[in-house]
This record gives sequence, C-alpha cells and structure tokens, in this order.
Amino acid sequence: MKIAVTGKGGSGKSTISGALARQLARRGLEVVAVDADPNPNLGIALGVPREQVEVMRPILNSLLESGHTHNDPQPAAEDLLARYGVDAPDGVRLVATGKIERPSDACLCCGSHNTTRQFFGDLPADDRVVLADLEAGLNDLIWAHPGADDVVLAVTEGSTKSVEIARRACRLAAEMGVTRIVLVANRTVDDAEVHRLFDEMDIPIFIVPEDPAIEASDHLGVAALDTDPKSPAMVAVAALSDLLADGMVRS
Amino acid sequence: MTPDLTARDDAILEMMARETAVMDDLVLRAQDPLGWLAVRRQARSFRQHLEPALAVASAARVGAEIAAYDASLARCYERSGAELGEYDPGVVATERGHLGLRVALIGKGGVGKTVLASTLARVLARRGRTVFAADLDTNPGLAISLGLGTGDFALPSAAVEENAGSNYGWRLAAGVTAVEAVRRYATITADGVHYLGLGKIGSADKIDAKQSVVALTQILLRFGDPSWDVIADLEAGPTTPFEGYHAFADTVLVVVGPSWQSALTARRLLPMVGDRRTVIVANRFRDEADHPGLEADVRIPFDAAVAEAERHGSSPVDSCPDSPVIDAVGRLADHLLTTSQEVKV
Repeated sequence: MKIAVTGKGGSGKSTISGALARQLARRGLEVVAVDADPNPNLGIALGVPREQVEVMRPILNSLLESGHTHNDPQPAAEDLLARYGVDAPDGVRLVATGKIERPSDACLCCGSHNTTRQFFGDLPADDRVVLADLEAGLNDLIWAHPGADDVVLAVTEGSTKSVEIARRACRLAAEMGVTRIVLVANRTVDDAEVHRLFDEMDIPIFIVPEDPAIEASDHLGVAALDTDPKSPAMVAVAALSDLLADGMVRS
Repeated sequence: MTPDLTARDDAILEMMARETAVMDDLVLRAQDPLGWLAVRRQARSFRQHLEPALAVASAARVGAEIAAYDASLARCYERSGAELGEYDPGVVATERGHLGLRVALIGKGGVGKTVLASTLARVLARRGRTVFAADLDTNPGLAISLGLGTGDFALPSAAVEENAGSNYGWRLAAGVTAVEAVRRYATITADGVHYLGLGKIGSADKIDAKQSVVALTQILLRFGDPSWDVIADLEAGPTTPFEGYHAFADTVLVVVGPSWQSALTARRLLPMVGDRRTVIVANRFRDEADHPGLEADVRIPFDAAVAEAERHGSSPVDSCPDSPVIDAVGRLADHLLTTSQEVKV
C-alpha cells in the first residue's frame, strides 16, 4: 500500500504521518516513511531524537556529497533505502529525499522532487507500506503522482485556507485517477460545521480532534505518540491505521 | 541573434536590457535624496540578481555583456553614493525613512506568514502608505486573507509572454513596466492595498500556475518606485527562497511559531536569504522557549480572537481590531520603518 499525505503547511501532515507510520508498523506491517519535504522534519513525529533529525542526511544530499552528479544514473530506490534510510521507533524505516540548505543547491531542488517520484512510484509496496509525507501545498502531490491503487490523505484543519487547499488536493488526486482519497479533518470536532465544510466533496472524512497534547509535543519537538499515546489525537490516528490496515478505505 | 546563443542566453540579454531601462529611468528622475536612494537600492539588488545569471550563461559573449552590465550598475551605485554625499546627512537619514519597504516573508507552513503579511500591508496602508502585496504562493492564501475569497486573481495572461529561456517558459510581456503592471492588473483590496498573485495550481499540468512566476518576480525586482511599500508572501519552506522569489527584498521576515520544528525551519532558512536584513518574528508568542536557538526581534502574542478570524478566513483588522496582535503588527511596522537605516542600500 502506498499512502501520500498532502495538505497546507501547518495542517498536521507530519504529525499524522509519523504517528500513522508507527501504528501501521505496530500492526506487523513493514513501513517505509518517506520525508519528501525539502525542509525535512518527519523524524520528529516518528520519535527520532531532535539531534539526529538535525544532522540526518537525505538521499540527494548524500549522493551529491559522494560525488554523484545530475548526469549520473540514479541508483534504484531499494538500494537508496538500504544505504540512506535510518531506523525509527517500532521498526519504521525513514528516508528523506533532499534538503535545500543553500541558495546554490540547484541539483537538490529538481532532484528531490524526482527522488520523491522515484520513491513513491518505483518502490515495491505489495508487502509493505510506503507512506510519503509531502511538501506543503499541491505541487509535491503532482510530483509524487499517486495512482488508482494508492491512498491519498488530504489533511486540513478548520481554517478557510486549509480547507480550500484540501479541496483542491482532493480534486487533483481524483484527476490523477486516485480512488482512495480520505479527507483528514485535523484539530476539529465531529460537528455539523465540519460536515457542512466538506459535504460537497463527497469523500470519506476522518476526524482527528483538537488536542493540547500535540501542541505540547510540537513545542518540545518530540513525538506525541511517545509523550502522550492515549491523547485524543493519537487515539484517532490509531483508529485511522486500523481502517487503512484492514483495507477498509475504498473508493 | 547570434546562432551560438542559447535561449537562456537570449533571456539573460533581454533581462539586462529591460533592467537597464529601469535603471536609466531612475537615474533620470533622481533629483533629491529619495531619488538617489532609490537608484542605490535598485543598483544593489540588480547586482545581487546577476550572480545566478552568470552561473547559467553559456556563451562567452554573454559573460562579457554581464560583466559590462555589472560595471555599469557599479557606476550607478557609486554615483548615487557621491550624489547623496552632497546632501546634509540628517536629510538623507530622514529620506531613508521615506524609502518604501521591500519586504519578503518566509517560514514553515502554518506559522502565520500570510495573516501577518496581509495585516502588515493593511496597517501600513492605514498609515497612508501605498502598498503592493504580492502573493508568491501557488496555493490559495493571501487573497483570502485580504478579503478576496477563493476566486482567481492571478496576474492575467495578457501580462505574460512565452520565452523559452525563462524558467517555466514565460516572462513579463514586452512593453509592460513593473509599476504599470501593478497599476493595470492589481486588484485593489481592503484599505487600498494592491494585490497581485501567482496563478494557483488547479490541475496536474501546473502550467496556469507556473506561467506567472517569472513575470511576478520580475515585477517585484524591477519595481523601482521609491514611494511604494512592497510586501511579498512566499510559499512555505525553502523552495521559493531557493528559487530567489525574495530577490527584490532588502528585508526578509523569518516567521516562527511556538513549535520546535518551526524554529528548526527558521534556522535552516536564514542561510538562504543572502546579504539582506533579516527580522525574526515570533508569532503566537507565549515565551522565549517557543523558538529555541533563535533571538526574536519582534514578538506577536497569541490571541484566540485572531485564531478564530483565521478559521473563518477573515482579517483580524476587521474582526478584532482591538487585539494585541494588531498593536504588535503596528510595532513591527514601526520597527521596519524606523530601522530602515540599517538596511544596506
């Protein structure tokens, strides 16, 4: 199963991706978590220590540092995963595609998008979960290019802007042929207003409630799944992982 | 056209010709300290902008033309310094305060860049300043915050023309100057703020969204008029700073929220902005532990009323005008206006 997580910046993509990846791993699935953000920090939500997240070298940075140029053929995704992935809690394998660090990182900018596509497109996912936490906004969803068999989670919080971006993400995913699209309404409550916001979209809505535990863990840069695993948002993500693992998310 | 020139080389030559016209016009009209300050700032930002052009120019002839252009910009810069030296330093310092702002906002997604950009633009406009707010995000945002809703307010296709050598294959149409483009195509929003934005990604081919990128960054970079404040809201993260969308700015607001990840993002973004003044803005501020490893220059407090306004897509200027957030943005405006002496021009 491949899962692409998309949405506005700050909507909670990484928080949900990190907790979801670990919950799926706890259900016995092999999970590869792909941090596709050129400002990678998915490691935090996975429970990787902050110091390690700061120094982690993404695939493209590592390749360029070892003398690789954009004219060289890119190694296979499976090899890159073995070489540049790091182990996160619960057996999740974390890999970041590329980090833009300097104004001159020309190869990184195009290369990290291409590497995201390579990972989301080429990595076999029959017997494992490939979960890609995408860069904020819609551009990266187009690069990842999910297909009919993949899952797209459009994460939004309740603000007008965030909902509008999620709406466009769902439309884009449908245009790309994705049938398993779920709107994750984060930091909301299961009330009439939320349903009114999303009614016209005609796709399943999954509610992740507002949760002070997430704010507290974000403040410290740690994973809520470690500091407060019974908090409402973490319980909701566990339920989402059940839905996905059971293959209950259908078109 | 010499046959050995690539489309990219042609685009660079054309870019220099159009910038030269902007420079000549500013020099021609410079008759007071404000005018010479504008010349100085424009010469400096055009010179900064030349460096990436040098890296991609392939033909030797283009390299020579770039060097000649750089030398002429250096002469403009030196001349403006000499002209300013003829005036009383106190008068020059006062006029620096009147030189319009050139501000770009960057930061992690969700830290509040867009609400801050729109509020700052309106606070400045309410002080009687003329404000151009540029939306450099291919996702909806600034137009909503300025009260325009989710409709299409992108730079129209009449403002752009195809150009093989430009990124994404388009540039600002010939014969349209930057100031004209804003006057002609901007949507006038609350408090008279002029809004121009990138196209928004609506389909998987992205073309509509991307064809306005070069034109809008060119409008920003060539916007010589010293009397306008220019505020640009960039897309979240490092990609648009990497692509130089902030090239026009002499001041970059790095916005950080009360999360460790947003502080990490800010620390990563600081090396991206080059030799520009940076102002670290701690948004939704509660205490210094909000943003480890960073010293905030301006603090904007958390206010539930502003969060509520964001939920509904309304502006805090309208829905909670008495909020301490509005006061804090006013202080940010003061800070930007009174410390403009620190900005290198």
